[in-house]
Amino acid sequence: MTDTTIRTVTPAQAAQATVLDLTHISKLYSGVAALSDVSVEIRSGEVHAILGENGAGKSTLMNVASGTVQPDGGAIVFDGETVTLTPTVAARLGIAIVYQHPAVLPDMTVLENLQVSLPASVFDGGPDEEIAERLLDGVGLDVHLRDRVELLTVAQKHLLEIAKAFAIQPKVLILDEPTAPLGQASVDLLFSRVRKAVAEGVAVVYITHRLAEVRELAQRVTVLRDGKFRGESAVSAITDAELLALIVGRQLESTFPPKHETVEGEAVVFEVAGLSGDGFHDVSMTARRGQILGVSGVAGNGQSEFLRALAGLTPFTGTVTVDGVEKHGHQLLREAAFMPADRHAEGLMMTLTVRENAAVAALAKFRGWWLLSRKKELGRVTDTLQSLDVKAPSLDAEVSSLSGGNQQKVVMARTLLSEPSVVIADEPTQGVDVGARAEIYRILREVADSGIPVIVNSSDSKELEGLCDKVIVLSRGSVVETLTGRDVNEQMMISAAVHSTTSSISTDRSAAVPTSRAGVRRFIQGDYAPSALLVAVVVLLGAFILTQNDRYLSAFNVSTVLLAVTALGFIALGQTVSLLLGGIDLSVGPLSGFLVVIASFFVNDKKPVVVILVGLLLMVVVAVAVGFVNGSLIRFAKFTPIAATLAMYIALQGLSFVLRDGPDGYINSDVVAVIQLTVGPIPVAFIVLVAVAVLAEFFLRRRRWGWRLRATGSDEESARRVGVRVNRTVILGYVLTSLFTVLGAVMLMGQIGVGDPSQGVGYTLSSITAVVLGGTSLLGGRGTFIGTLLGALLITQLLNATTFLGLSTLWQYVFQGLLILVAAVAYSFVRSRRRRAAA
Amino acid sequence: MSNATMRETNRLTTSRFRIAPGFVAIAIATIALFAVGGLLAPSSVSHSAIVGMLPFAAVLAIAGLGQMLVVQQGGIDLSVAGGISLAVVISTHEPAGDDSKLGPAILMAVAFAIGAGLINGILVSRLRLNSIIATLGMNALLYGAVFAVSGGTPRSTTKLLASVADGTTWGIPNAAFFAIGALVVVSVLTKKTVAGRRFEAIGANPAAARAVGLRVRVHQTLSFVWAQLLYCLAGVLLAGITNQPTAFQGDSLLLPSVAVVVLAGTSLLGGRGFPISTVIAALFLRQLQQFVLALGVDTSVQTLVQAIALAVGVALYSVNWASVRRRLITPKTSQAIPV
Repeated sequence: MTDTTIRTVTPAQAAQATVLDLTHISKLYSGVAALSDVSVEIRSGEVHAILGENGAGKSTLMNVASGTVQPDGGAIVFDGETVTLTPTVAARLGIAIVYQHPAVLPDMTVLENLQVSLPASVFDGGPDEEIAERLLDGVGLDVHLRDRVELLTVAQKHLLEIAKAFAIQPKVLILDEPTAPLGQASVDLLFSRVRKAVAEGVAVVYITHRLAEVRELAQRVTVLRDGKFRGESAVSAITDAELLALIVGRQLESTFPPKHETVEGEAVVFEVAGLSGDGFHDVSMTARRGQILGVSGVAGNGQSEFLRALAGLTPFTGTVTVDGVEKHGHQLLREAAFMPADRHAEGLMMTLTVRENAAVAALAKFRGWWLLSRKKELGRVTDTLQSLDVKAPSLDAEVSSLSGGNQQKVVMARTLLSEPSVVIADEPTQGVDVGARAEIYRILREVADSGIPVIVNSSDSKELEGLCDKVIVLSRGSVVETLTGRDVNEQMMISAAVHSTTSSISTDRSAAVPTSRAGVRRFIQGDYAPSALLVAVVVLLGAFILTQNDRYLSAFNVSTVLLAVTALGFIALGQTVSLLLGGIDLSVGPLSGFLVVIASFFVNDKKPVVVILVGLLLMVVVAVAVGFVNGSLIRFAKFTPIAATLAMYIALQGLSFVLRDGPDGYINSDVVAVIQLTVGPIPVAFIVLVAVAVLAEFFLRRRRWGWRLRATGSDEESARRVGVRVNRTVILGYVLTSLFTVLGAVMLMGQIGVGDPSQGVGYTLSSITAVVLGGTSLLGGRGTFIGTLLGALLITQLLNATTFLGLSTLWQYVFQGLLILVAAVAYSFVRSRRRRAAA
Repeated sequence: MSNATMRETNRLTTSRFRIAPGFVAIAIATIALFAVGGLLAPSSVSHSAIVGMLPFAAVLAIAGLGQMLVVQQGGIDLSVAGGISLAVVISTHEPAGDDSKLGPAILMAVAFAIGAGLINGILVSRLRLNSIIATLGMNALLYGAVFAVSGGTPRSTTKLLASVADGTTWGIPNAAFFAIGALVVVSVLTKKTVAGRRFEAIGANPAAARAVGLRVRVHQTLSFVWAQLLYCLAGVLLAGITNQPTAFQGDSLLLPSVAVVVLAGTSLLGGRGFPISTVIAALFLRQLQQFVLALGVDTSVQTLVQAIALAVGVALYSVNWASVRRRLITPKTSQAIPV
């Protein structure tokens, strides 16, 4: 009976035009059907809610609709035409999607995030700032355009994502659980905004778990379960009970071990009281000996955060008591065995063997006299793995070669071997095949029977129903229901979750900062604070030297220092590009030397102008080739940037020596004179350097090219989702690094005046020093060309200062070392404080 | 029948000695290098050539082992140059030819090494600095110390140090024994002790190690300390081997120390280390130098061969060869690949 689908269509709605028609969509993931034969019609001018449990296929269906996932069967019809969707095509057709996890670039400002993600046409007809303000106002996001997105709360990032979706004035707007992180005021504003869009004829797809929101907003609802279509109806024509009946009722093939027989008066072995932390609030529960505790709720409502706190990984307030003893976080970290949901990220050491992974938490128990006893280790590990029936080619197989189920059993073996005081399992059967599931349930039950408390989080209510003796249901971080005995069933859990109306505890307003101080704060947190600091240091240092030696500002010294800055300056500008991408280019130093060696064959006295020009052109061609090879090795051959550019470093050094075994080939004196031309005391080359740095800075801040570069370095995955072509950006970035190095090589050529194969190498490390001093992060995504220029200036000034102050070489090194360490520590300190403030 | 095979596959076996693929590659390459040397340039494998090469290979091997420990924790140590140079000048300048002062000088070098390693480690693990920046700054500070000690002028070593470091026992250079000693210590500590096994696990996945409750930051810090101690040993040996060591003796070891680690198959992203392969890789690079010298080819060719060896080595570990093979076997017809 429950399988009869309900289709009721009122005449009024039939009149509305279908914009997007998904017909008979199927999608398989490694043989398992995520969607089978699902059809949904999206009509303009109405909100269509998609309901279903965790894993029912809602998100997969929407990924199909937005083109990020290609279906294995079925057709997508847009405005009457069958289309093949990709993210680009979808964007062009006007399909916008707001993901549960916002695709924002943390290192860039709010404005820049909008600029890089949205088509240029959005900003037609007005200054970018004005249009951006309007977009933010539309969703009630109250942040400054120049705030870094990293500083925004989760809710604010979400609103930014929603603003981006509205900005392209979509025909179809897909919202995936949009209200989860939002406070009530933002939810109300979002709903009114959605209603307004619907009134204008936009088709809205609204994915949710909450019946209340469906009632409030949607006109039509489709229910999915287990990847199958369960029913569609007008919201007004269906009761809550009928909807709930459609959602629940999954079939589960696994068998469960018998539950714990509750005996009155059994000892409480585990107690959590008033536990609060990031993402959950005032959670309490108890377990008697032999009980398995379940944590239920819609995915992302604080369950994982709660478990991580119990494992001692994140701080909490409140008390955790195990066997009558209160445990602190660091004790839990050592004593509790945590089985993380993401086995790749933090469950296993994927490159190590099965034996090493199983043994890692219990190594101290295998100690012989003072070395590890191989016999003890093998004995215990093999016994445990075999008792869990782990199937692996051998104990020495890399754990990554095992199936998901066997990997999870290795985690369990590690857990058992460590003899924990409590076991905390986050999604223990995620990615595990059906056969292994039953065994994992059995093992967890055995652990609980032995008196160790077991806490399980699962997004699968059916699993908790079968496994647990007691279940708490979390919604937005708070307990909304505690179920025991016969009440531990899917129906009760889902009902508690979907009827919940608690609003999110996280706030979507940043802590109020007095506006007079806000500007200062924004500057300190901005990219230019290091530059200001460097200017101050350069001026102070200069003033100090001047008091010691009044020839310091003589025309000769000024032009010597400024000329010396140029070679390092240009090369460091190039290095900045690589670092902004989150990479590094070690080959810039040898490249500059190699280019000079090349020049020394062409740019000589008595050579015709044409030959000299050919020589300069050749330098450019070689540099482009080097950058291209570096970038390609990194992107396509998957070399780490250090490995790729280190190989290039050695190769270029070798090539220099192949061409010249010693200094030879004097550079044309006229060319040198041109390179070293000065206007008053200021070298023309230095003016060019400043102009190039300012121009590069302009492109970095104000042009799409710069946004894309920083987006790629900031967060590659998000950059890809907002439409940046990552491979191309990275390779062109390395080419650009090499091209800047050409300019540096020209200056170097003027300075040394001869093709010397041993020159230039030192620029690799000094360029990195200059860039770091300028405040560019080695993590990518943030930095400035101006800062780099100042960094190069400061280094050169410092070297010059030691001679002027009559200090020995010793101080050159000490100053350089201290400078880079102090700067790096200071920048890192500011950054971590900033992040803590945001969290 | 099928039952028997089932049981067979379910039994978990292990072998006492596991052979890493990187070991096979570098060992074969080294043997091939000696064989080709014997054929094309017999002087490169002469007794005197090998005895002359071994001490330098030993120094590189020891420095490489230190670099390996840092790379295992996902870092990279640029202060290897300063660390070695400082040990060189301390062990030559402080005693100033007086053998009785050699002991205290070496102790002083060790103290500097521990200090430098601790600072590196704290900067990286506690203050979350990128290891490139931290060790770049430390390298400059170490060179400051080099100039404070020596003023930048070279001085020759004491007789005792020269006889120990540059002498031979049973016809084998003593330095080689030091390298083997360092290899044994590093191998046993990382593979056979509780701390060493935790160390490798942390390098392989710090997040998972933390979830298990291991002390991630302590191990990360110690990796830099151990590395500096090994550089110190390499520097002291180098002071004895070289007649007139310069103040910049360590510079030429920076890139080769990274190269041998990479050639040995240790991932720059961290994880398992391969001490034996690292030592063989050091032997390979130094013998390559001998071979090229004996051939009478320009020395620059040797640098190029090093670069190619490094690129091939990294490609062996980085490129997903299975997918390349698949793509080559089933070429897509006339599909333009967007670049």
